[in-house]
Amino acid sequence: MSSHREAPEISKDPVADSTDVYAFVSPDKPGSVTLIANYIPLQSPAGGPNFYEFGDDVLYEIHVDNNGDGRADVSFQFRFRTTVRNPETFLYNTGPIQSLNSPNWNRRQTYDVTMVSGFTGRAIGTGLACPPCNIGPLSTPDYGALAAQAVHQLGGGITVFAGQRAEGFYVDLGAIFDLGDLRPFEQLHATFGLPALKAAPGVNATNNVNVHSIAIQVPVSALTRSGHPSIGVWTTASRQRVRLWDADNGENVDSGPFRQVSRLGNPLVNEVLIPLGHKDQWNSLPPSDDKRFERYVTHPGLAALLPSLYPGVFPNLAALVAAGKPRADLEAILLTGIPAGIIPGFTNFTGPVLADMLRLNTSVPPTPSAKQSIFGLLGGDAAGFPNGRRVTDDVVAIELRALAGVTYPLIDKTFKPDAAAGQLTDGLTPASVHAPYLGHFPYLGVPYSGYNEPS
Amino acid sequence: MSNQDAKHVPEGTPERRLSRRSLLQGAATAGAAGLAATAIGAAAGPALAATSRPPAADQSHDTAGTHAGPIVVHVRDARSGDIEVFSGTSQTRVRDKDLAARISRAIG
Repeated sequence: MSSHREAPEISKDPVADSTDVYAFVSPDKPGSVTLIANYIPLQSPAGGPNFYEFGDDVLYEIHVDNNGDGRADVSFQFRFRTTVRNPETFLYNTGPIQSLNSPNWNRRQTYDVTMVSGFTGRAIGTGLACPPCNIGPLSTPDYGALAAQAVHQLGGGITVFAGQRAEGFYVDLGAIFDLGDLRPFEQLHATFGLPALKAAPGVNATNNVNVHSIAIQVPVSALTRSGHPSIGVWTTASRQRVRLWDADNGENVDSGPFRQVSRLGNPLVNEVLIPLGHKDQWNSLPPSDDKRFERYVTHPGLAALLPSLYPGVFPNLAALVAAGKPRADLEAILLTGIPAGIIPGFTNFTGPVLADMLRLNTSVPPTPSAKQSIFGLLGGDAAGFPNGRRVTDDVVAIELRALAGVTYPLIDKTFKPDAAAGQLTDGLTPASVHAPYLGHFPYLGVPYSGYNEPS
Repeated sequence: MSNQDAKHVPEGTPERRLSRRSLLQGAATAGAAGLAATAIGAAAGPALAATSRPPAADQSHDTAGTHAGPIVVHVRDARSGDIEVFSGTSQTRVRDKDLAARISRAIG
């Protein structure tokens, strides 16, 4: 998955588990950037009676680096507070919820937003309402309208939303984690001596599940330095160092300073590039420390695996891996941004500091939807991943293709990628997501309701 | 302040210092809330509070009395006296063999 359950420790703490980060110039508001951080993966929509919610004990942050040092220059902090209207009922709601102040809604969350610039923190929103989870036609009869009430204008051109959304990331987890099987190509898989497989369409394993999104839309000028349009974006979740189970009151009590337990910039980096023994540590560090993980990007294990999983399909990649040359193309894409002069007319280089951040050149205008390529920059669409990331970008295919060598000619024009490298896919597209994406903030679709899913 | 503190909060930001007496007071406060703990055993909380509470007359002089929430003591290494103390969103680290020994004795 992009970053769902990607490391041993955080897989046991879903409330603090960042799953995806998106950053893009808002297509319907081009002077602004939309930043989205998703948490709490793989929510079964029917998961009541205690439906999903943000952690009151978690510090959620979205960070922006605008001077290329891999450290935050602007951060948005989100702290949640849960209240129970009537503790004497087991019900999440006692009737239809048709407004955010409905007396029928028993357990609700509000949140505060603080914008930190340098050493200065400023509260830009307090007591903002989250929407409830999408329960069903009796409890949340017009969920779209209800959730729209939870889009808050904060002043200064900033818009924010925090609450449940439909999972927009599409991936064939079941096949990929079954020893690197890509269903559309599985007739070519080595199968470890087991019977051969037949090619099949991809299956979207993240369909019909929800996540919790923190989305904030901010004027470009509030995030960038003058003359430096490229920014690096990542999210973190932090917990206090101490947690005690207060048996007398039946609750956890936290104490001490917050320490980072989850991090996400580029999709799939911690998931598939960082080895198992280092994933938890990676989650605890800032991007500015990523030099220590450089070798896992420049010599990715998955690139070495592909030729053995698909014998004879990737001879040029196999030769590249055997030569032991560092993958400077991947380093540029994931750790520094792409310098000027590599791709005509494009750069999102932020400097030489190696830091896993989702880099967005905010001066690249959004591509009209009819002309977008889900393969982003690889598809000739400079407004898509790895120039930021839109909600519809096929980051699985893009990164698979890059790992397979498609982007290596950017730094070595004599290298000829294998024919299959440019075709790699898990067989999914945005159409594989049942809940339609929105054309406006917060862009991710209306969450699936517990009444309808699972069906 | 951002938790990405490398930029927002310089490393080595002075931590609030706690005296040994205030530490004990804090343990007492924590015990009163039923929340004291050490690395040695969470069950130590109430017992620790009962045995380490300082004389009432001392309390008015003790800054730890201003702590609204629990104070948590983590004896990292009783032998060297390496102790961490947590309160609110702050922490401090002290080295006090005698205190560590007293805490260890308190839990039996």
